[in-house]
Amino acid sequence: MRYRLHQDFTCTASAVRGLVYKFACICFHSLDRIFDIVYWPVISLLLWGFTSTFVSTTSSSSQVIEFFLGGAVLWSLFWRAQSDVGTFILEDFWSRNIYNLFASPVTSLELFCAIGLIGLLRCLLSLVFLSLLAWFLYTFNILLLGGIAIAVFTTELLLFGWVVGIVIAALIFRYGLRIQVLAWSVGFIMQPFSCVFYPLASMPRWVQVIAVILPTTHVFEGLRHAIATGELAVRPLLTALGLTFVLLVAALLFFQYALRQAKKHGLLTRFEMA
Amino acid sequence: MPLLEIRDLCKHYGGVEALKSLSFDVERGEFFGLLGPNGAGKSTTINILLGLILPDSGAIRVFDQDFATQQVEIRRRMNVAAAFTSLSGVLTVRENLRVYGHIYGVRNLNAKIDELLERFEITDLAQRRLQYLSSGQHTRVTLCKGLINDPDLLLLDECTLGLDPDIAEKTRRALQQFQREKQTTVLFTSHNMNEVEELCGRIAFLSRGEILRIDTAARIKSLIPHQVVEVKFRPGTDLSALRQMDGMLRAEPSGDSTLRFVLDDPERQLDSLLRRLTQAGGYIADVQITRPTLEDVFIKVARGEI
Repeated sequence: MRYRLHQDFTCTASAVRGLVYKFACICFHSLDRIFDIVYWPVISLLLWGFTSTFVSTTSSSSQVIEFFLGGAVLWSLFWRAQSDVGTFILEDFWSRNIYNLFASPVTSLELFCAIGLIGLLRCLLSLVFLSLLAWFLYTFNILLLGGIAIAVFTTELLLFGWVVGIVIAALIFRYGLRIQVLAWSVGFIMQPFSCVFYPLASMPRWVQVIAVILPTTHVFEGLRHAIATGELAVRPLLTALGLTFVLLVAALLFFQYALRQAKKHGLLTRFEMA
Repeated sequence: MPLLEIRDLCKHYGGVEALKSLSFDVERGEFFGLLGPNGAGKSTTINILLGLILPDSGAIRVFDQDFATQQVEIRRRMNVAAAFTSLSGVLTVRENLRVYGHIYGVRNLNAKIDELLERFEITDLAQRRLQYLSSGQHTRVTLCKGLINDPDLLLLDECTLGLDPDIAEKTRRALQQFQREKQTTVLFTSHNMNEVEELCGRIAFLSRGEILRIDTAARIKSLIPHQVVEVKFRPGTDLSALRQMDGMLRAEPSGDSTLRFVLDDPERQLDSLLRRLTQAGGYIADVQITRPTLEDVFIKVARGEI
């Protein structure tokens, strides 16, 4: 039977609206979905805030706190974005709604647009809360980076977060709920390779080979440059953007492949998928 | 022009053939039943029609459009209510219906939701979260979701499962009324034979991925040609003598003073049977004819006897 891939990349505003409404309702009705907007980011901020405060007392560098806290705040955006894609899709598996959802005219693009919109809102809430907390606890003012820099860093991290989330969603469709733990853990696995708190040059050679293909590495290199010089380094950010775009296309194609495989093997109708 | 055309649909799962070159048409406005034992291929057929399973080969045309290439467009005009599925448990009934109303692009959504809740007598549940509903209430919400977009093609998979007899009857009435009002084409599966017989104009009887027969319930029942005739005699009648009559094949005792006869052609044989029993000295007190039901056909199909 012939199948046209472009069908899954059509998008209607009403379907996106319906899905955004659903995700918003899930957030409002579920305390843990509200709580997780701030829980892990705050833990991370406290951990790196106290660590950097201690290190600053033994270091000659006056910008240790900015490096660590800037990294912690921005990393939480990436983590939030990537885990939101996985968990919002998992909600439908858990509630056995995946059958009705995929039997409806909803397309993959509409699903990701809706998750992106609700994820953006959650990330912004998280950013505002963390920024206020960082200023209150450590007198770290993230706004000193400049509005454009914050917007660029945030955009790139959100985009790459969604890329990783889409890959995890694809794996869930292909291999079922037995790999659901990836939705929360991939961020932690990627963190050591993303140069969040230390420069690329400080890592062993073999780790640099991995790190250099991650857009996050270039974003955090750019962040440290912006903190150190007060200027936005264009090159690492363009590298990050280019890598993100390539990986986004690859992730969407991989998702389509995984979804097609799931349909071929009848996995969408087996709700446990364990 | 049929509203739904299925041609040579095949599906394998590993070495198991779930569908073997399945072909059938469903006409516009028809209430069409898919009947068969577990593993016959009913749900696989429905899931392929929903785009949830990809077939190995075959062609499907819905609304005169190719399903493989126009699937998203076609699904806007279809819907499904399947008893074993769910909606979002943390959302209220109204919120769930709003979600699907938006997805299907329904206009005057609030009015439509109110109409459906009233139709299935669950208006009082509108603000309740789905996770707190009973299975019967849940089933009716699923039906409301299935009708939210006034679908041209509605797929109902075991949609009255878990309903008590009273609610099941009301639900069937509501579905029939909806179908007549909107001239919806319905593809219906159920293990409740009476329900299938009551609702469906034509039935496709599936077994092991193949269509055994497509016909009305009455004609499908004729797959079992014989009927059972139970003759009750007045007390004191010598049944052993009656059983030994020439040509009295397959007569067997069935309780005190009763004999059971299996007739292959009851219209021709019944008159002759009763006359001969009387002539042989039998005083007949009562005669009961048991015609095969859809359930009898189902059981024989499931056991591979047909």
